[in-house]
Amino acid sequence: MAAALEQYVNNVRTLSSQGNFSQLCEFISKSGDVLGKNASHLDNLLGALDLQEHSLGVLGILCIKYNLPNIPDFETLFVQTQEFINMCNGEQVRYATDSFAELCHRFTENLVTRRQPIRGISVLCKAVTKIQLHSSQLTSIHADLCQLCLLAKCFKPALQFLDADITEISKEGGQYDARHFLLYYYYGGMIYTGLKNYDRALYFFEIAITTPSMAVSHIMLESYKKHLLVALILHGKVPTLPKYTSQVVLRYIKPLCQAYHDVCTAYGTNNPTELRAAVTKNQEQFTRDNNMGLIKQCITSLYKKNIQRLTKTFLTLSLADMANRVQLATPREAEKYVLHMIEDGEIFATINQKDGMVSFLDNPEKYNSVDMLMQLDQEMQKCIDLDNKLKSMDRDIAVNPQYVQKSAGLHDEDMQPASTSKGTGY
Amino acid sequence: MPLAAVQQAIFQQAASIEPMQVDAPEENENIEEEQPYVVENTTLDLDTYAASYTGLAKLNRLIYVADHCPPLRVEALRMGLQYVMTTYNTNMYQQIHRKLQEALAGVQGLPDAVASAAQCPALDTQWIETTTKKAALKLEKLDTDLKNYKSNSIKESIRRGHDDLGDHYLDMGDLSNALKCYSRARDYCTSARHVVNMCLNVIKVSVYLQNWSHVLSYVNKAEATPEVTETQSKDGGWVVITKLKCAAGLAELATKKYKSAAKYFLQASFDHCDFPELISASNVATYGALCALASFDRQELQKHVMASSSFKLFLELEPQLRDIIYKFYESKYASCLKLLGEIRENLLLDLYIAPHVNTLYTQIRNRALCQYFSPYMSADMGKMAEAFNTTVNALEDELMQLILDGQINARIDSHKMVLYAKDIDQRSSTFDKALQKGKDYQRRTKALILRSAMLKNQIHVKSPPRDSGQGGEMSIAPGSTGARN
Amino acid sequence: MPSAMTTVEELTQLGKQLENQELESPGGVATPQIYGQLLTIYLVQNDLNNAKYLWKRIPAAVKSANPELGNIWTIGQKMWQKDFAGIYEAINKDWSDNLKPTMATLLESTRRRVFNLVAQAYSSVSGDQFAQMMGMTVEEAVQAAVSQDWKADAQTRLVIPVRSAPQSETSVPSEQMLERLTDFVSFLEN
Repeated sequence: MAAALEQYVNNVRTLSSQGNFSQLCEFISKSGDVLGKNASHLDNLLGALDLQEHSLGVLGILCIKYNLPNIPDFETLFVQTQEFINMCNGEQVRYATDSFAELCHRFTENLVTRRQPIRGISVLCKAVTKIQLHSSQLTSIHADLCQLCLLAKCFKPALQFLDADITEISKEGGQYDARHFLLYYYYGGMIYTGLKNYDRALYFFEIAITTPSMAVSHIMLESYKKHLLVALILHGKVPTLPKYTSQVVLRYIKPLCQAYHDVCTAYGTNNPTELRAAVTKNQEQFTRDNNMGLIKQCITSLYKKNIQRLTKTFLTLSLADMANRVQLATPREAEKYVLHMIEDGEIFATINQKDGMVSFLDNPEKYNSVDMLMQLDQEMQKCIDLDNKLKSMDRDIAVNPQYVQKSAGLHDEDMQPASTSKGTGY
Repeated sequence: MPLAAVQQAIFQQAASIEPMQVDAPEENENIEEEQPYVVENTTLDLDTYAASYTGLAKLNRLIYVADHCPPLRVEALRMGLQYVMTTYNTNMYQQIHRKLQEALAGVQGLPDAVASAAQCPALDTQWIETTTKKAALKLEKLDTDLKNYKSNSIKESIRRGHDDLGDHYLDMGDLSNALKCYSRARDYCTSARHVVNMCLNVIKVSVYLQNWSHVLSYVNKAEATPEVTETQSKDGGWVVITKLKCAAGLAELATKKYKSAAKYFLQASFDHCDFPELISASNVATYGALCALASFDRQELQKHVMASSSFKLFLELEPQLRDIIYKFYESKYASCLKLLGEIRENLLLDLYIAPHVNTLYTQIRNRALCQYFSPYMSADMGKMAEAFNTTVNALEDELMQLILDGQINARIDSHKMVLYAKDIDQRSSTFDKALQKGKDYQRRTKALILRSAMLKNQIHVKSPPRDSGQGGEMSIAPGSTGARN
Repeated sequence: MPSAMTTVEELTQLGKQLENQELESPGGVATPQIYGQLLTIYLVQNDLNNAKYLWKRIPAAVKSANPELGNIWTIGQKMWQKDFAGIYEAINKDWSDNLKPTMATLLESTRRRVFNLVAQAYSSVSGDQFAQMMGMTVEEAVQAAVSQDWKADAQTRLVIPVRSAPQSETSVPSEQMLERLTDFVSFLEN
């Protein structure tokens, strides 16, 4: 018994020192049974390994510990995991991205069931940065982190990851699948919604909805609902989804969201009474879907949108007339709305309490300040960077052997039908 | 999250929804939802009206009048009944007869009904029988003829055979077979004239079938035929062109492309307007004038409508419309709108323009409002309301809508009740747009890059059932994701 | 007075530290001091979203043992409702020593925000309402207004604000601009 464990330690040490990590991974994967049978000795085993030098070995043991039917002492395991993630050697663990991710998933699950999500946030932040090749790479741990942040109601730590635009997805030994992807964009959208960054939230929900799909996923369905509501709050209307949206969305998801479409239609009439009616009618479902908060914001946004419409048509308007036109109870309430909207930069206006009038002004931005120039400059730079990224992707594809073979293949068949040689690799 | 289970649940729901979903028409905009309406006061002279048309056009129009105008119902149906007996269309005969019966039953209920007028002719079953028989005989004969021509392969005769057969089907009211026969003639056309003839036949039937895209494509086909528009004997050429323009105008009107419809109608030649199977000259005047008013700006109206010597002749047929156009042009909007109100009822009895009357009227009114304001920097809304026969408050609402739609660039000073023109700072709005475009580009490109990563990793939502062992196995697999990649 | 206040920059720094401390707290529960400070800092930053979520995640036991936390959040609620009079009332409490400087900053920053808002949003505002929004007596408020060159009309009891033009012009070295311009042009050319 002890011999088997000793052998594990020895092998880990030898292979690690040789830098033969691929072989080490293979060995560890075969050692699962042995380790599992000796559960009580695993902590001793950990003591014999160095977090830095034998990261893969430690990872293997920790995975087994999480896999035990019940975890006897989670506090110890928590500390061990925390230490491992803080100290481990990134180079090494990247040979086993799938196991590393699995460790994080299990870690997350345990915190969730123990209702201590906030404890895992800093650990997972560390984990993501450790395993990522660059900040635009998406891993399956991203979704875990977002889940913990949501449950802990502590959103800020997730932002540094959410704000980075993803250009690459970690394969994680083929373990990365659509579920992680959908969850990340769904949770991310919820976090942005919570922080009222609706533009970004809308983008995240859209990504979730437009994920290629052959089946209806619950996550997509919920994303779809939230997408509709956020779009109303942000734009006052529902944007058309991109062409590449899967048929599934239109055929199955849309009909499941009739209540939400009712709200959109009612919103489109610009009439708060109709919107409220549509909300009341479906209140039960919205509450069940946990979307009542968003719905309430939709209602507020309709008042705001109607006020914005007024700014486009009127130079001056009495507060009483305004209250009347947008269906607010009193001029006082109308004044309050206007005041808030001015503060948030949503309209440009001045209130004249002497006559009880509001004057609407044009956007004072004249696009002639240095600040604005800088902003323009930055925006252009962003576009240029994106364009360059596209170009380099295009180049990558152009020299991809498979692509070359395929596009050249068509010609080949015409030119030299006898040729059967297929260049493998390049 | 027990995703698989949830998916399963969703799937069952989805499956139960599917059968309904399959034929649920997504976009059924083409089928106009017709609001039932009734016209009580009309100055329409049914005899003259009916005399302008032949064939199905006459029948369809009479039925339309009967459906929407109770005072004229019986008369229209009687005329229809009389006319239909000159054709082979036994179905239509029975249909009209039934309507007439119903109408008379309704009238008889009233105490004032003139008893003698309410006498309904009995259903002439003998006529139906003989006509059906005759029609069948003729059909058989035409069919045999065509077969003979075919065996002799005389192109011209085959073409005529098809045409005759088409005519006969049309006479019987069998539109789809008529269309088939006319279309088949296509392969036997030997001259440009034949091609055009074939096109006209197809167009005619397509109009009856309300297949507007078909109408337009055959108009294009005919117009693309060389010689038609030029070297044909001049008068014949113009007749053909006018027919084509009218048909195209109808199609554009039906699909709500009013500007383009107006342009087509304006190209019709008065002296060669002879198309009783579809449209009368006064129809051309009405449709053309209304569409032009609703969609042309001042210059266009002046140049293409008022200064057009040909269209002037059309307008003489409809003096009220001529006055409306002039009032509009002279900015006498109150009287213009009043005149428009007067002819409204009659328009509602016209089967092609009726569905568009409301839209066209709104557009004309809006155009008038915009035009009224266009020369001003600021306008007193009191005076404006007066010019449009309305109240200041109602005007304010109307203007608000126009401003929101971007049709008038102005803002309302509700304090002083003055409408002020709004000058747009081109520079600022350009900056604004540029920034917006940049943001859109960034967003789309980011989504694109992400999508390419998605596809590269073959991320897609697959059907359940997944094996429930997902995530259960924890082992270190040999790193296929090497440290380098 | 200024010595008892903390500057906004200092608070931003402090806020970051506190956020980290909260995350590293044993068992995921931080001290009431950390919660209180962080909550107040979010309020100074007018970051009501994060304040709200912080309030929501403070364990109920900590809340009930430390009623002061609830008092802080009362300010947040008033800010959320933009009930200006309520904000001042809620701030005007005897805070524990570690909170005092931050509260002073909060009072000051709220007044500044309101003052700017009034300047932006009103062409004339009643003295009473202005005083309420500033959390001052009418006399104090009018004085504050006049000191910023605003006008006060004793007869109509109206305050006439003056719009302040934002002046935050930072200049960029022209060489750098030229370089950027070159970049853009070369991008467009390719």
